[in-house]
Amino acid sequence: MGFFDDKQDWLEIVFRNYPPENRRAAVMPLLRKVQQEEGHVSPERIREIAEILGTTATEVRGVMSFYSYYQAVPTGKYHLQVCATLSCKLAGAEELWDTLRAELGVGPGEVTPDGLFSIQKVECLGSCHTAPVVQVNDEPYLECMNRERLRALLEGLRAGKPLEEIELPGDCGHEVRKEGA
Amino acid sequence: MSEGFIVSGHDPRFERTLYAHVGRPDAHTLDYYLGHGGYEAARKALASMTPDEVIEEVKRSGLRGRGGAGFPTGLKWSFMPKDDGQQHYIIMNADESEPGSFKDRYILEDDPHQAIEGMILAGYAIRATKGYIYIRGEYRRAYDRLVAAIEEAYARGYLGKNLFGSGFDFDLYVHRGAGAYICGEETALMNSLEGLRANPRLKPPFPAQKGLFGKPTTINNVETIASVVHIVARGSDWFAQMGYDKSKGMKLYQVSGPAVRPGVYELPMGTTFRELIYDWAGGVREPIKALIPGGSSTPMLPFNDDTLDTPMDYEHLAEKGSMLGTGGVILIPERACVVDVIWNLVRFYGHESCGKCTPCREGVAGWLVKLLGQIERGRGKPGDLELIEDLLDNIEGKSFCPLADAAVWPVRGALRHFRHEFERHIEEGRCPLEKKGFWG
Repeated sequence: MGFFDDKQDWLEIVFRNYPPENRRAAVMPLLRKVQQEEGHVSPERIREIAEILGTTATEVRGVMSFYSYYQAVPTGKYHLQVCATLSCKLAGAEELWDTLRAELGVGPGEVTPDGLFSIQKVECLGSCHTAPVVQVNDEPYLECMNRERLRALLEGLRAGKPLEEIELPGDCGHEVRKEGA
Repeated sequence: MSEGFIVSGHDPRFERTLYAHVGRPDAHTLDYYLGHGGYEAARKALASMTPDEVIEEVKRSGLRGRGGAGFPTGLKWSFMPKDDGQQHYIIMNADESEPGSFKDRYILEDDPHQAIEGMILAGYAIRATKGYIYIRGEYRRAYDRLVAAIEEAYARGYLGKNLFGSGFDFDLYVHRGAGAYICGEETALMNSLEGLRANPRLKPPFPAQKGLFGKPTTINNVETIASVVHIVARGSDWFAQMGYDKSKGMKLYQVSGPAVRPGVYELPMGTTFRELIYDWAGGVREPIKALIPGGSSTPMLPFNDDTLDTPMDYEHLAEKGSMLGTGGVILIPERACVVDVIWNLVRFYGHESCGKCTPCREGVAGWLVKLLGQIERGRGKPGDLELIEDLLDNIEGKSFCPLADAAVWPVRGALRHFRHEFERHIEEGRCPLEKKGFWG
C-alpha cells in the first residue's frame, strides 16, 4: 500500500495551495509529510511522490537532496539537530555536539541500537540569542542547552515523555529579551 | 540628535510599533489584534487609497528593504506592471537564515496578523490577489501560529473575497522551506516554491517581469512588509521622522553573543551600537574584541569607541567599511579566535552554496574553506593570506548570486582588522588561543 493512499483529503488541501497547472510545486510538503512520519524518505516513497506529481523520481530526488531536512537514510525516533553556526558555537555548540556523540555513541547517519536517537549538525536555526540550540524532529526549539539540560532531555525522551512535558532544569543563565514594550 | 530626527530609543517621541505586542499573552490571536487597532490600516487603504497612492506613500516614507539589501521598497513595487491582465504575486520572505538574525521569527510567532495585514496592503499596492509566505522549515511555532492566524482571518472575512467591501480579493498561502540558506535569495526562493531545486535564476528577467510561476512578482522581507502597516496607519511623515538621510524608520536590531540581555530590540534607525548594547541589551558579560554589525555576511568591526558611537544605518556603516544587513549584531568575545570564527562562517556559506557557479562552488566551498581550516589547525604557510586575498578578488562580484559575496565580506573584515591573528597562526604553526572547553 502506498503512503499517500489513505491521505487523499490531505493531498487535496495541499494542492489547493498551488495553481492547478503547477502540481509539482507540492513536492516539498509531500517530502516533509513522509519525513515526519517515517523518519526518512525511501526510494519507494520518492517514486510514489513522483507519480502523484506527474514528474520523475530523479527530479524528486534532486529537490530532496538540496535541503538538509529530508533524510535519505533512516533516523531515530528522535532526530536531534544541533546548530553549529557562530552564535551557538560561541555558546558551546561544539561541547554540546561532543557530549551528545559520547552519550549516545553514534555519529551522523547512525541510529542508536534502541532506535531512539540520531544526530545531525545543522546550520543557523535563527535563535542566536538563546544559543546553543537543539531541535528535535521538527518540534519547537530547545534553547540555552547545557550539560544538565541535555541530560534531562535525553532522560525524558528515554522515559517516553512527550517533548513538551520534559522539564529542562535551570534557564539561560542570562536574561533574554524579545519584547518590544 | 540631528535636525530634530529621532535617532535614539530614549527619544520621548519614539514609540514601538513592530514589536509593540511581541511577548504579550494571546497577541497572536485575531481578537487581540482587532482589540489593538488591527486591520485598520488595510481597511483605510482599501477604502480610501488607490494602489498607486499606497506605493507613493511607501516611497515618501523612505522605507528600504529590511532583509539586508536595503533596496527602496516603494521603488521596487513601482516596477510591477499595471493593467497587464496577468496574475500578480506578492511573496513574504520569511526564510530568515542569515546567522545572527532572528527578528522576523517573533513577528510571525507573536503577531502573525501584523504580517497578514501587511501582505494585504502590499498585495493591494502591486495588484496581486495572491500572496505566499515562504517560511523557513525550522520555524515550527511560527508556522503553527501563522497557519492558525490565516484560518482565523479567512473565517472572519479578513482574507478571501471582497475585503472590507472594497471589491479587492486576496488569498494567502504558506509554503515551508526545508533548510537551505540560498532560499532567502529571491529567485532561488521562487524556484523552491515551484518545486524545483533552489538554484538562483538569471536576471533579467526580474521577478517584476517574470517571477513566481512566470508571473509578475514582488518579494519583500517580513519586517519590510510589517513596516508598511504602520506607514499606512500613521503616514509617511511619521516614519521619515525617524533616522538619518537615507535610512528611515524603525528597525529591529538583534543582539547575540555574550550580552547581558541578548534579544531583539526595536529602535529608531540610526541608534548607535553603544545605546543598543549598553542601554538596551544591558552591557556585556565578558570582554569583547569585535562585533559583527548586521548578520554574518557583514564585515566585523573592532569593539572600540569609534565603532560603538557609529549609528546603525545603511550610510554610517558603509562609511566604516561594513553594512547594516539584517541588523543582527553578534558580539565576538576576547576568548574567541578570529580565524576560528571566520572559518565557522565561511564553512557555513560553503555548506549553503548551491554549487551552480564556479566562483562559489570552487572558490568558497572549496578553496576558502580549506585554506582557512588549515590556518586554524596550524598548517598555514607563508603566502596563504595573499593567496586568500587573490581568491577573494576572484570571487567577489563574479558569482551568479550574492551568496559568494556574503562569504567574501566577513573574511575581508577580519583581515582588515585582525590580520595579526591570522599571521600569528601561520608563524607559530598553531592556534595561539588556549582551547578551553566552553562548558568547563
